[in-house]
Amino acid sequence: MNSCPQAEKIIYYCLGALADKAKEDFEIHLKSCELCQHELGVEMAIENELSQEFEPGFVENRIRARLELRQAQDMRSFWLYAFRMAVYGLTAAIIGFVLIPFLLKFPLESVLDLSKYTDGAAELLGKLAPGNAFFVILGFCFIAVFIASMYSLAQIRRL
Amino acid sequence: MKSTNDDLENLIRRAKDGDEQAMTRLVTIHKALVFTIVLRMTNDYYASQDLTQETFIKVFLNIKKVKNAQHFRPWMCTIARNVARDYFRKSKRRRTISLEEVKNVQGHSNLEMTRRRMIIQDALAKLAERDRMLLTLAYYEGFNLSEVAEVMKMTESNIKISIHRARRRLRKHLEGYEHELLSAG
Repeated sequence: MNSCPQAEKIIYYCLGALADKAKEDFEIHLKSCELCQHELGVEMAIENELSQEFEPGFVENRIRARLELRQAQDMRSFWLYAFRMAVYGLTAAIIGFVLIPFLLKFPLESVLDLSKYTDGAAELLGKLAPGNAFFVILGFCFIAVFIASMYSLAQIRRL
Repeated sequence: MKSTNDDLENLIRRAKDGDEQAMTRLVTIHKALVFTIVLRMTNDYYASQDLTQETFIKVFLNIKKVKNAQHFRPWMCTIARNVARDYFRKSKRRRTISLEEVKNVQGHSNLEMTRRRMIIQDALAKLAERDRMLLTLAYYEGFNLSEVAEVMKMTESNIKISIHRARRRLRKHLEGYEHELLSAG
């Protein structure tokens, strides 16, 4: 930077941000000030360089190929993720509804006797699975797997 | 300008439907802008080629989010900026562009021009990321202040002041190189 008090205006002048009167005054000053002329030359050289545009060469085909590859990978990972989540859900359901009651010799039928809580639901359940807790367990497993799959699908869609 | 916008809108609409020709056209139109941004940000010619491709892949994977053609360029520049930032964060180094790379970029071997480019590119690399991005966009031909403001998430009235400050900081880093800058002009 030079020591001229008007030098502050040079960048504004280059940016075209000076008001008409200020611009006129600065141009008059510029004619007689060698320091500002020099500084303006430097600023113009910087501006010239900053406005340069660079070319990356021919990248179109590479982008298309990489895009296709990425989409194929995304699709593969989508199914892998959905499958993984389904397996997690199924495993959780088996552990929760079969393994733990089996290990604890838990009387599952008595716990799942919903008539204690809601008569309507018990009635419906009685129609769907008359006296057989196995069907109820299977139903819960199915719901768990279904929810896990739906959740994983939603996650993938969000990505 | 209106017909250009209509063309862009048409290209974006076709790209959303998976039209490869439209995608290729969008790349051809905007690749220099994206490459210039990532090169200014990373100061790495070869990495910038890769990051340009990465930017366009992200653009096309998310192009359905573009509701208005007017916002396409600022949106794409924001993606380019984020891609360059990620690269910068991962590489964790500030690189100085080599002579060979500068020759590659400009496509000729005028020694004074090459040296001037190296000096300015090196000074740019010393600036904060925000200043580099601001100066790159502000001086890119055909990029207007409202688009710069959209990318930088600033108001239009603040943009000129910020550009001025960034230019002063850049000038400070170029102290002592005035002769080289003027000799190539």
